[in-house]
Amino acid sequence: MDAQKVDMFIMSNAKFFESHHVHAIRERLIAMDDSKWVGISTIQFKDPTTSLIVSILAGSLGIDRFMIGDTGIGVGKLLTCGGLGIWTIVDWFMIQGATREKNMQKLQQFLY
Amino acid sequence: MEHLQRHLIMENKFDYQPSEHEAEKASNSYLMSLIALIAGMPLPIINLIASVIFFIGNRKGTYFVRWHCTQALLSQFSLLFMNSFGFWWTISIMFGPETISSKYIGYIITILIFNISEFIATIYSAVQTRKGIHVKWFFYGNLTNLICKA
Repeated sequence: MDAQKVDMFIMSNAKFFESHHVHAIRERLIAMDDSKWVGISTIQFKDPTTSLIVSILAGSLGIDRFMIGDTGIGVGKLLTCGGLGIWTIVDWFMIQGATREKNMQKLQQFLY
Repeated sequence: MEHLQRHLIMENKFDYQPSEHEAEKASNSYLMSLIALIAGMPLPIINLIASVIFFIGNRKGTYFVRWHCTQALLSQFSLLFMNSFGFWWTISIMFGPETISSKYIGYIITILIFNISEFIATIYSAVQTRKGIHVKWFFYGNLTNLICKA
């Protein structure tokens, strides 16, 4: 794929991924066929900052986990009132990493 | 003091230089336990449960992250027994027939000293691991080495 196109993608989407993944993504995109560009450029990624805000405001209802697509964990959190508030606190620190992992999984469906 | 500090909290070289994202997650394990400690203040078990959940969440993380999650967990585990005993002793004085004795006051002072020193060590570790420096506590560091597999 065209390096300029890939760099543009990286520049606008780097915040959605773990920093150590970004380089590998760039390498992979450059090596990839041009026909997949339409698919990749239209993926909707979840913003880690938004999920952190949701986690702080509505974490005890499990909304943050529902938002990033962890329905099972979300239901568990909802039924236990956010693990009696403890799980909610833990998730304030883990949700950003979890969101980036989910984004990576989403992109990987197109990369491989 | 500096001599004592060098023995109680050692800054060792880790097997590899941890990268930015690892340092952040490892530091979060200490920070999170501090927040949980303050949020669940009178109950001694809240921060232990929080550390267990955080450890489970990061069990697939890199060695550096798992190592520091384990150390944060272990350090709180021993405090749980001391704090639980003090907590229920206090409850029995407040609602039961027990009265405040000098044994009770001595015990409370002891657990206060232990808790404050753990609190300070946790803050120090959170700051240092964020910079990627490997902080190994007295006793708990060796225990973590035995438990945490590479």
